[in-house]
Amino acid sequence: MAQHVYTKDALLLKADNICLKYGDKQILSDVNFEIHNIQRPNMSQGQVVSLIGRSGVGKTQLFKILAGLIKPTSGTVTIDEDQHVVRPGEVGIIPQNYILFNHRTIYQNLKIGLDFSGQKVSDEQEKSIIEDYASKFGLSEHLKKYPMQLSGGQRQRVSIIQQVLTGNKFILLDEPFSGLDILMVDKVIDLLIQVSTINEFNTLIIVSHDIENALALSDTAYILANKEGVAGATVTETIDLIQLGFAWDRDIRQSAHFQELVAQIKFKI
Amino acid sequence: MKETLKNSVLPLSSISKQTLIILVIAESAIALLAWHLTGNGLIPSPLRVLDAIIKLVTEASFYDEFFKSIGLSFKGMGISLVVAVLVSYLSLIPIFNPIAKFVIKCRYLTLTGLIFLFTLLTQDGSQLRISLLLFGIVPFFVTSLMSIIDTINVQEYELCKTLRMNNWQTLWEVVIVGRLDQVIEVMRQNFAISWMMITMVEGYSMSEGGLGTMLIKSNKYLDLSTVFAILVIIFLIGILFDYVLGQLRFWLFPYTKLQLRK
Ligand SMILES: Nc1ncnc2c1ncn2[C@@H]1O[C@H](COP(=O)(O)OP(=O)(O)OP(=O)(O)O)[C@@H](O)[C@H]1O
Ligand SMILES: [Mg+2]
Repeated sequence: MAQHVYTKDALLLKADNICLKYGDKQILSDVNFEIHNIQRPNMSQGQVVSLIGRSGVGKTQLFKILAGLIKPTSGTVTIDEDQHVVRPGEVGIIPQNYILFNHRTIYQNLKIGLDFSGQKVSDEQEKSIIEDYASKFGLSEHLKKYPMQLSGGQRQRVSIIQQVLTGNKFILLDEPFSGLDILMVDKVIDLLIQVSTINEFNTLIIVSHDIENALALSDTAYILANKEGVAGATVTETIDLIQLGFAWDRDIRQSAHFQELVAQIKFKI
Repeated sequence: MKETLKNSVLPLSSISKQTLIILVIAESAIALLAWHLTGNGLIPSPLRVLDAIIKLVTEASFYDEFFKSIGLSFKGMGISLVVAVLVSYLSLIPIFNPIAKFVIKCRYLTLTGLIFLFTLLTQDGSQLRISLLLFGIVPFFVTSLMSIIDTINVQEYELCKTLRMNNWQTLWEVVIVGRLDQVIEVMRQNFAISWMMITMVEGYSMSEGGLGTMLIKSNKYLDLSTVFAILVIIFLIGILFDYVLGQLRFWLFPYTKLQLRK
């Protein structure tokens, strides 16, 4: 097991006592976690955090709260150096079903991400940036197509690049592995590793019930589950994959120790 | 062949274009035959209607009436569309929402009761026709447009939010540009209503002419072959426009083809 040299410093995101109720039904209760900036010498290492829980536990709702799209019944999500309350638009989202603008071609879908990034670039530059990303992620031949002409996996990649282009450092992904075959899952993992190392502040938050793949990608994982005697789901366990020596290794799924951890967690969600 | 025969009675199965054409032709032939066999006596038979059509379209005066109706219907559709689109888009701004809600409910008002009022409010027959037409079409247009807006997935708005668009930009991207193709579809669907209403409206102000006036006059003289001939012409024109608008949609918005069941 590789031991890495790293430090954790600035607080990037904090979920503070998040509770969510729909009517009388408590969905989330006192969800707490923090994401700190990780630094590794000589590389721009971003953060990858996963929230793991079984179907229906409230992951998608938490996802929307983290993105600022719905307000929790109580509690706050704060981000960045000044720890202000998150506003919609500050956190990029890749929803469970990869929503894109169906009336725009792939090129235009990516362009709109760049257009709203706030940075001024000429049309020429814009074109080269988009083509660059497209070729890196195997989408070059699809730029002129419409979203309906792409496979689920391709749409997902467009969705991810669109969010990267908006310049959001935080990117939330809801079930990024669902509906993909094994080879595609590997591709997505590679893609996400790339995204997480483009910029040291890039932070991916993965919401998933796929324990193995989510853990393989993450540096930290939080288990979201129901505690006995408490209504609503909460964080029941934190797994520090760096400490365990499982982080930043794209072949970790082949390790027997790692698989043991996966098997243990199955019983905890 | 056996396979296609089986498929043509199986729900949700797709058949080739060729098979579809064969089905359409065969079923039309059966319908015509049925009409021919039953339609003697009061109801003119297909051949007599055909005769009447030929007689109609060889008369020069027919084209006057014909283009009057077409013109009126285009004008009515055009103005209605602009008004309806405005009302629907504005409905997303809360202060204008009640107006749209009211317009939709106007579907339940009948034109017949309002003719007197409209006659008072308008200066001449052609104005009367246009206003009646507008009043008749706009509520249906707005209803269809609003139901399109209502069915937009929340996630599309959320995507806009995460792309940092403000509400105006979101309205533009998702509702206006993103649903432009469906405006054409609404136009196509409602063209039928306006085309149907045309003859009715023309009947309310006979002095201006048009197919509707012709229809009423022929009815009065019990000239049923002519009545049927006009009906057939109205029917065919309707189908033609339906087709043209459908093609226009595919041509202007190629992506709409992708969203249909093959
Ligand atoms: N708008 C709503 N009103 C009331 N209850 C809701 C609403 N949306 C979701 N819920 C409930 O909240 C719970 C959590 O839903 P959520 O979509 O977050 O599950 P999930 O963990 O994402 O599941 P999955 O893995 O299947 O996507 C569910 O029990 C659901 O019924
Ligand atoms: Mg979910």
